[in-house]
Amino acid sequence: MDEWKYEPARDQHLPPDEQLKSLQREAGLPAFLTQAASRVAIRSYLKLYHRLKIIDRERLPRSAPFVMVANHASHLDALVLAAALPWGLRQRAFPIAAGDVFFHTKAAAFFSTMALNALPMWRKRCGPHALDELRARLIGEPAIYILFPEGTRTRDGRIGRFKPGLGRIVAGADVPVVPCHLDGAFRAFPPGGRFPAPVRLIVRVGVPLNFVEVSDARQGWEEVATRLEAAVSALAADALPTGP
Amino acid sequence: MILGLHPVAFWIAAGIAAALALTPLIFLALDATKKLSPELRTELWIRYKSWLILAPLMVAPLLAGRLVAILAVAVLGAMCYREFARAIGSFRHRAVSGVVVLGGVLITFAIADHWYGFFTALPSLMVSAIVIVALFEDNPKGYIQRVALGTFSYLLFGVCLGHFSYLANDRLGAPIQLAILLCVEMNDIFAYCTGKLLGQRKLAPQTSPKKTVGGALGALILTSALFATLGHLIFAGSALDRPIHLLTLGLLLSLTGQFGDLVMSSIKRDLGTKDMAATIPGHGGLLDRFDSLLFVGPALFHYIQYFRGVGADMPMRIFTWHG
Repeated sequence: MDEWKYEPARDQHLPPDEQLKSLQREAGLPAFLTQAASRVAIRSYLKLYHRLKIIDRERLPRSAPFVMVANHASHLDALVLAAALPWGLRQRAFPIAAGDVFFHTKAAAFFSTMALNALPMWRKRCGPHALDELRARLIGEPAIYILFPEGTRTRDGRIGRFKPGLGRIVAGADVPVVPCHLDGAFRAFPPGGRFPAPVRLIVRVGVPLNFVEVSDARQGWEEVATRLEAAVSALAADALPTGP
Repeated sequence: MILGLHPVAFWIAAGIAAALALTPLIFLALDATKKLSPELRTELWIRYKSWLILAPLMVAPLLAGRLVAILAVAVLGAMCYREFARAIGSFRHRAVSGVVVLGGVLITFAIADHWYGFFTALPSLMVSAIVIVALFEDNPKGYIQRVALGTFSYLLFGVCLGHFSYLANDRLGAPIQLAILLCVEMNDIFAYCTGKLLGQRKLAPQTSPKKTVGGALGALILTSALFATLGHLIFAGSALDRPIHLLTLGLLLSLTGQFGDLVMSSIKRDLGTKDMAATIPGHGGLLDRFDSLLFVGPALFHYIQYFRGVGADMPMRIFTWHG
């Protein structure tokens, strides 16, 4: 007879409030239910209030793992990208959120976990270890990450430089990275805004890129950032009104 | 009645409060003799602070009336189940896990309704539900393990703990439950202390290397005496108020309490982990604290039920219609 395999929750050894902040966090039944409820609520809100439109949705891979990246203008962005996923994949999606905003207090960490299923990225002290952890989880689980390589929301509406940190997660790995462009978010809810305006949001899904041939080193990471920035910028160009 | 409480319930609560108030003085006295190593000193303080939160959380609901007591035990059961399911990994099977939680809700309802028929129907019904729901995954690989772990955890945290909860339906529910809780905790402490003093031979070195035969016997004697004394005051005038019954109850409590401890040690050894979680500073998980309570409930409940009856003179089927 085969021995039974027990696989404890990977965050089991942590005290409750550190579990919320852990990259190894695993949702139990309560979080699973609140996240499902919050997904329904958020999607309805985006559809009704922002008339969310998703273009070329069929370009999204059918199964995890993959990474969605986009330009970053507002706190709505991660919600919008998650809402673009088909229902069956949405529960595998983890928005990678700024630790200093979304996990700063216990209440914030609780909300980010129970409602958003976000994982923290500590911008000031994000060591290579955290990125390696994210990479291992992405492939091992397998998971879907939603992240914004600019590292911060745009202050003027233009797309900023993509940071190479993302490269550490995907360079050399056979994981599709889907460039997306988000239109309207800056007008709807710019940094410093108090309440979202009912502006239409449009997501353009790009053709997935794969970085399995790229070296998992500084040069490769830069290449990942450059190529994704170009891809998102190209989608942004499509978004501009054409003709006179 | 003192302050609306049964005298035994009142004095147990007062005694626990007094013990918690006096403990810092004992620490200070020990400190003055300079016999405590700094590590042991911090360890004791962390444990004490945890008790300071844990003890009122355990005692207050049992004093607050039938429904609060039943709900509090249900919450405890749910938290223990969560810890257990996360430690063995069965929480990832959400369908089975959901049925286990639903079973916990239903058994809590049966207890709160004081509906013994439903209470006894639930174990078999929920086991059936678990084996059936586990089919829906259409994945025979690991089926036995999923089903067995779901059933096992429901029986431990729903049914066994439910028996402790059901005692709240008795007229003497609060004093009985408090006496059990106190004696179960004292049982651990007695075993630890007598083990330190007289413990020579190991009880089960593979399962729990620190436990000794001396500690187990010491706890058996002291806990039985303590429970028999409290039981005499609680059950005065009833069929159970005879030395043979009171001592048997005490022995049952001490034995099942110690076995509960060993069961959880065995589970932890099998998993290769020291603590079930890191919920309570200094104690580990909730299960590391409440393991000994699990099997005391059924043993004492059915003994009392057989010789005296539990809650027979109280209203039954409180929420459900019955013709």
